[in-house]
Amino acid sequence: MTKRKMKIFGMAMTGVLALSLSACGGGGTTNNAAGGSGSDPAASGGDSASGEKVTITFQNIYPDASDPKNKMMKKIVDQYQKDNPNVTIELDSLNTDQQKLKLKTQAASKEVPDITVVNPAAQMQPFVDADLFAPLNDMVEENGLKDTFQSGILDYYTFDNNLYALPDGNNIGVVYYNKKLMQEGGVEVPTTFEEMVAAVKTLKEKGIQPMVIGEKDSWTGSFLFMNILLRTNGGPGFLQEVLDGKKTFEDPAYVEAITAFQQLVDAGAFQDGATSFDYNAGENLFKTGTAAMYFMGSWATGGIETAEVSKDGNVGVFQFPTVGGKGNPDEFMLAPGSAFAISKDSKHLEETKDFLNYFMLNFPKEAFDVKGAVGIAQNVDGDFKAAGYSEMAMNVLDLFKKVKGGDLAFDNTMNPATTQVHLSGTQSLFVEKKDPAAVAKELQAAYEENK
Amino acid sequence: MNVLKVSRWTIAAFILPCLIVYVGLVFVPILVSLYSGLLDWNGIGQSTFIGLENYVKMFTRDAVFWPAVRRTFTLAGFSMLVQVPVALTVAILITRFVRRPNFLVSSYFLPVILSVAIIGQLWKTIYNPASMGGMINQILTSVGLESWTHSWLTEPKIAIYAIILVSLWQYLGYHILIQFTGIQNIPSEIYEAAKIDGADGFKADRYITLPMVLPILKISIVLSFIGSLQSFDLIMVMTGGGPAHATEVLASHMYNMSFLTMQYGYGSAIANVLIVMCLVATVLINLLFTRMEKRYS
Repeated sequence: MTKRKMKIFGMAMTGVLALSLSACGGGGTTNNAAGGSGSDPAASGGDSASGEKVTITFQNIYPDASDPKNKMMKKIVDQYQKDNPNVTIELDSLNTDQQKLKLKTQAASKEVPDITVVNPAAQMQPFVDADLFAPLNDMVEENGLKDTFQSGILDYYTFDNNLYALPDGNNIGVVYYNKKLMQEGGVEVPTTFEEMVAAVKTLKEKGIQPMVIGEKDSWTGSFLFMNILLRTNGGPGFLQEVLDGKKTFEDPAYVEAITAFQQLVDAGAFQDGATSFDYNAGENLFKTGTAAMYFMGSWATGGIETAEVSKDGNVGVFQFPTVGGKGNPDEFMLAPGSAFAISKDSKHLEETKDFLNYFMLNFPKEAFDVKGAVGIAQNVDGDFKAAGYSEMAMNVLDLFKKVKGGDLAFDNTMNPATTQVHLSGTQSLFVEKKDPAAVAKELQAAYEENK
Repeated sequence: MNVLKVSRWTIAAFILPCLIVYVGLVFVPILVSLYSGLLDWNGIGQSTFIGLENYVKMFTRDAVFWPAVRRTFTLAGFSMLVQVPVALTVAILITRFVRRPNFLVSSYFLPVILSVAIIGQLWKTIYNPASMGGMINQILTSVGLESWTHSWLTEPKIAIYAIILVSLWQYLGYHILIQFTGIQNIPSEIYEAAKIDGADGFKADRYITLPMVLPILKISIVLSFIGSLQSFDLIMVMTGGGPAHATEVLASHMYNMSFLTMQYGYGSAIANVLIVMCLVATVLINLLFTRMEKRYS
């Protein structure tokens, strides 16, 4: 190659490099001009009954056409459009992860869709702080919508007495178990954590996989861990007390929970390589009947119900037991679901509110009809048994009736940065023998750093 | 300029669209990212200007950052010092001994066109514990090397090497193709002349192929280095950076910081470090090769 050719070649290389760099920088570049949150308080809306053509964008997380929720949503939307010919509802259906990313990008450029989906409490706090959502206080009173919601559930979406979102679900953490495998292993449903560890050992000896978990998505292990903490703390509110400065993560309750969790791991409760299984892969192990027990939120009920393993009522549920004699099994991990919020800058605020009101009013009935009413946030009229809900679904519903409070998942209470440290700390318990006190200390340091 | 007999304005008019797109998509984002690296910003709400605090935190207090850098460079090292030489050897052997090499080269290239998600899933199954049908462990067990079995992707000390292996495997064909093409372009007269002078086989490789293929080798090295710095997708699919950050590299750490912990400012700062690393490394590699080429020309 001559000198000149080399030069051209060098330039080409620079081009390649620069192009690839643009991929590098992608993470941090979706933002534009920060700050300046308070755009004028949306005097938009227009006349709601003017008959003017209106298009509402409805971002949602029901993308799967085979999912009953998707059909249900389309049915309600179609009905509304028929009743209000001037309104067009545009669906933007995404899966959960995509939606989270898309909303963050949209929020950064202040282009939040008319209706979007957020998660409760601490997770929606940044969006509320950035003043992106319209308060729904007046709207929820209309047509008696507020009374359809279970008492207390709306609190998780309320900030400074303003309600900003309406939830589609309300779930609790339960343990599903495979009756046949439990019988083969000769173990009973455990009523204490110690029995649970013993049952795990017995099952393991008989060559039965005691429990499964999809720990690649580290929230799964955290959800279980938090339930243990709910017990060792003797009741709910540990994280709140940390936030209030009354406790630290080095509190005995937290350390004890880590120790208990390690016992479970050491007893060989979880499948080999658990940290490389994502949520779906982990759940599939239970659904295909390879494991005896599975701790998960009650949202898994629908999927497990229709799986092979549930044939002949083979799957049961039980409450997470006491740990070291502490705690009350009637206190559950609470998982208020994702919720619909309305953009403050929506061009058609009134119409959007009217539609969401209609949507949520019809939600429970339609969900009931497609057998999706276990774990929704609203009260349902109707006889579940007569409607053909399975025995396991009925058991889950019975557990709902027992709920006497509980805790939210870690990420719904703490800021994202602390959450990540907690998640990876919990994940490390699956693969390494660590000193519980050290794990707790590391988390406390991270919490103070990111307070 | 006047050779083409068109005015400067015409030239400018034709260059402009490309230039605008290029500047808009490459330089502006980098500048924005440089700026947001100085902010404490969650990506949504108010941002605070904090100067170099993000960088101070990154270099002194972030327990994940330096191990991630080390792993990134381990990957780059393996890629440059193992993958590219192996690719060169294979390319030379193919050129010399195989009469119709296209089929072989295409086969080696096959993994490159497969989506990383597929590769990741495939190798996850291969790496699985024997109880879940993992191939490697089953083979080890069946030949009596049970003590060698590991749960490859979940043991913190091994996991990153398991991923590096997959990455090397996937892109080997890519580098073979590049270097194979480079070798093909060397005029055969040179070899014939060398043969008359008594240089044959490995001697010919040493004194003809290697010097002549050097520019191409440089492409391979630069590509493999930058590719390693950016490696992200494979790690996301296979371990997600886990267990407990044991397979975290710079790119995945940046993603986690910007999107999962909502520290856009900090994420941008990491991105900037990555950009600087890419630039510095490219300049260094260029220098090195210019020197080597001088020696041979």
